[in-house]
Amino acid sequence: MIGQSRVAELETPGAAIEGASTRPAQSYWNESWERLRANRIGMAAGVLILLFALIAILAPLFSLLLTHFQPQTIDLSATFGTPGSPHLLGTDELGRDTLTRLIWGGRVTLGVAFLTVAMSLTVGAGVGLVAGYYGGWLEDVLMRLVDMVLAIPAVFLFILMSILFRPNAITLAMIIAFVGWGNVARLVRGEVLSVKQRDFILATRSIGARDLRLMVKHLLPNVLPVMIVAASLGVGQIILVEAALDFLGLGIQPPTPSWGNMLSNSESYFFHSIYLVIIPGVTIFVTVLASNLFGNAARDAFDPRLK
Amino acid sequence: MAAPLLEVQDLHTVFATKEGMVKAVDGVSFELNPGETLGIVGESGCGKSVTALSIMRLQRPGKIVGGKVLFKGQDLTKVTEDEIREVRGREIAMIFQDPMTSLNPVYRTGWQVAEPLRLHHGVDSKKAMTSAIAMLGRVGIPSPAQRARDYPHQFSGGMRQRAMIAMGLTTTPAVLIADEPTTALDVTIQAQILDLLRQVNREFGTATILITHNLGVVAGMCQRVMVMYAGRIVEAGPTTDVFAHPKHPYTWALLRSIPRLDADRHEPLKPIEGLPPSLVDLPRGCAFHPRCAFKVERCTRDVPALLPVGETQLSACWVTQAGGELKGA
Amino acid sequence: MPESAVKPLSRAWTTADPLVSVSDLKVWFPVSSGVLQRTVAHVHAVDGLDLEIKQGETLGLVGESGCGKSTLGRAVIRLLEPTGGEITFKGDDITHLRGERLRALRREMAMIFQDPYASLDPRQTVGDIVGEPMDVHHLAKGRERQDRIQELLRVVGLNPRFVDRYPHEFSGGQRQRVGIARALAVEPTFIVCDEPISALDVSIQAQIINLLESLQSKFNLTYLFIAHDLSVVKHISNRIAVMYLGKIMEVAGGGELYRRPRHPYTGSLLSAIPIPDPVIELRRERIIIQGDVASPVNPPSGCRFRTRCPRAREHCAEEIPPLESFGSDHQAACFYPLD
Repeated sequence: MIGQSRVAELETPGAAIEGASTRPAQSYWNESWERLRANRIGMAAGVLILLFALIAILAPLFSLLLTHFQPQTIDLSATFGTPGSPHLLGTDELGRDTLTRLIWGGRVTLGVAFLTVAMSLTVGAGVGLVAGYYGGWLEDVLMRLVDMVLAIPAVFLFILMSILFRPNAITLAMIIAFVGWGNVARLVRGEVLSVKQRDFILATRSIGARDLRLMVKHLLPNVLPVMIVAASLGVGQIILVEAALDFLGLGIQPPTPSWGNMLSNSESYFFHSIYLVIIPGVTIFVTVLASNLFGNAARDAFDPRLK
Repeated sequence: MAAPLLEVQDLHTVFATKEGMVKAVDGVSFELNPGETLGIVGESGCGKSVTALSIMRLQRPGKIVGGKVLFKGQDLTKVTEDEIREVRGREIAMIFQDPMTSLNPVYRTGWQVAEPLRLHHGVDSKKAMTSAIAMLGRVGIPSPAQRARDYPHQFSGGMRQRAMIAMGLTTTPAVLIADEPTTALDVTIQAQILDLLRQVNREFGTATILITHNLGVVAGMCQRVMVMYAGRIVEAGPTTDVFAHPKHPYTWALLRSIPRLDADRHEPLKPIEGLPPSLVDLPRGCAFHPRCAFKVERCTRDVPALLPVGETQLSACWVTQAGGELKGA
Repeated sequence: MPESAVKPLSRAWTTADPLVSVSDLKVWFPVSSGVLQRTVAHVHAVDGLDLEIKQGETLGLVGESGCGKSTLGRAVIRLLEPTGGEITFKGDDITHLRGERLRALRREMAMIFQDPYASLDPRQTVGDIVGEPMDVHHLAKGRERQDRIQELLRVVGLNPRFVDRYPHEFSGGQRQRVGIARALAVEPTFIVCDEPISALDVSIQAQIINLLESLQSKFNLTYLFIAHDLSVVKHISNRIAVMYLGKIMEVAGGGELYRRPRHPYTGSLLSAIPIPDPVIELRRERIIIQGDVASPVNPPSGCRFRTRCPRAREHCAEEIPPLESFGSDHQAACFYPLD
């Protein structure tokens, strides 16, 4: 109880005190947010990712106003250009503007990353919640299902996918999410098992609440922090997965740019223009780093250790 | 009368928190005489544990910012790290509340109990283990040679606490500090452990500081008692006198508010109104005055000093120092 | 004459009959081990227990860790399903109730928990926590709901102004009051208090005890008060049941239990409890029993307490002592009781 600032004293008949705190109500989220804000590096990282996302969303605008190029515009007279004017980051082997492709590529890469995270979180959390809450045979069945999905060699699936069709951002996200939701399910189930033990769950059962209410209103909000951390770290991981897939020729196919395929493409042209390697490489590195830093900051901010 | 073994003079320990500087120990002075059992009693946040930790210089992340701890001619607050390490475990031993976490789960119990001997007296492992086993036997653990090979999780709570006491005693320290040693134990096991501590005090002559929030435990174990509130001592004296005629309103109110086994059921409890103060935001004057039934105007302005009241007691209360009586409905 | 098991009532239940009746109750938890997670043993948390709780009384339930008192509390309120035996509430058998009928029962019984920090959802405001029972049972909406919440907060001694605050902004004692308000929100007749003050500071405990007592007379409540501190239980209870390893050792009124305990375990329990009076403590004769509580996975045969009992003889290992009467409203399960 050292240093614990508290709210108004109680008001029993005959009590002498009515001391009051004038601070506004501080929810758990507010407190966590404040802790997050205090972490400068984490916040900077988060802002960076948001900035990239924003630029990616506004890609057509940037194309129009900033670079004045389209990502597919070929100009064979200006191949392997070095950064300068008018190509701020140079050009590739077909004279396409690197900066423009980077911005549009961000659309694809970040799009895949966020979409994958959203999908695997939704499915994984749903399964994890149900398995963790009900336990028994249902948990066994669901967790064995998760084990099976996680046992599928991802590469095999990706090769199969590439044989059957050409993946676009959405279908690619779906495949990666399919491979990855199992981890989220395990994570959420573990967290549910731990939260389930706490007295307030039993207390809510004791007043007659139904299972659905317990899961959605009580378990889910208390499991959310773990999911937020997983999501933050997941973005970085998926970007790397996407890049790896592109390297194997299984991901987004050219001419659609993505950071990954820009990087793998540049392998052949290393000696023509080192910028083609560095620029997407550094961009991927910075974004993944930012995602890790933000994820760690989020974990610290939500850590109930401090309670 | 023999010189005091341990003398704490005007000790101040603070913690820096998000909400401000917390004065966990705010000018505490007392003496511990050889062979006696001194009780420090108070509720959570009153500073009793931090006082004990400060004596051993284990108060981090807090800082000792004032006062002295005199022990065997040295001021423990000023000695070097090496010197205090010599004292810890060898001259002054400490046992803690939670026997589950005080012992390392990955090492055998006997090995841990022998550790202070290996560390401080440079005894070789075999001899140390022999002494440890002997000590385990003396604290009432059956089949000590076998049990020494067991890991902590194989012991019950009471047995673990006995092992902790054994560990504390292997170096025959002059002082034993027991911080809530029985709070986490069942009441019949508590009785066993308290009986053991009494026995240890008799046989080894170890002076003991017993920290607890349980007034019953103090009544049965301690010759002298100190009552702490908000980082300060509010009352001190021989246990029989403090319980028979408390000279501080907090002690007085506390004694009236706890249910007693031998009380008549129909006597209603008289609780202390209000809440313990926030240590970052202490009331002006006496920290207890917002909850005090006897306060006068001065209590809201000046912090009372701990002064003699009556023949044997000390009290930090303007009212009783001026001769006021503590009586109530 | 041993206390008989629950007799099915051949007439309608009245308030003169026990509110809650427990007959040969067993709650066993499986212990699994091995690669295939086979059930190798059971924890006999509650192991053949008879008990009656009268309308309007406070029955105290004491025992040390592992005795099964918390499990009994949860079984009685049907947060657990018993492994065997029978529980009746207002004359109806509730032992295996499910679904909607069980939910209907939740309006009659409520529970107050030990840990004021864990028993409130940290993500909900205090108002939501207290209002949730009303939402679950559709007791009140809108303006009426708000009014009821505020009234409940007032009744437990909290300022209704802080209805939008979160649990972590309150002290332990205040949080416990919120928990009490939540229990009252369903308008129950019966409340199980599971160690409601153990986690609170000494100076706050008395406040909560007084609050519980005043609420009892105000709302005509019946309490099952579970605690390990016999001093507190004796103060608040009409009758006290002493539990050990899943069985009741003795039941009696508080004063009677203290003056003339019959069961050796009760005797040693009473002797072990420190009294805040140095003069008495110095003079007391202590009966310090040796050893630790035996394991509920493999309880001793016959009388559960015999392994630590200074009075145990052969017979104690052969047969489980039934609860015998020792005068009006005093029962003990012992072949060689204290006199």
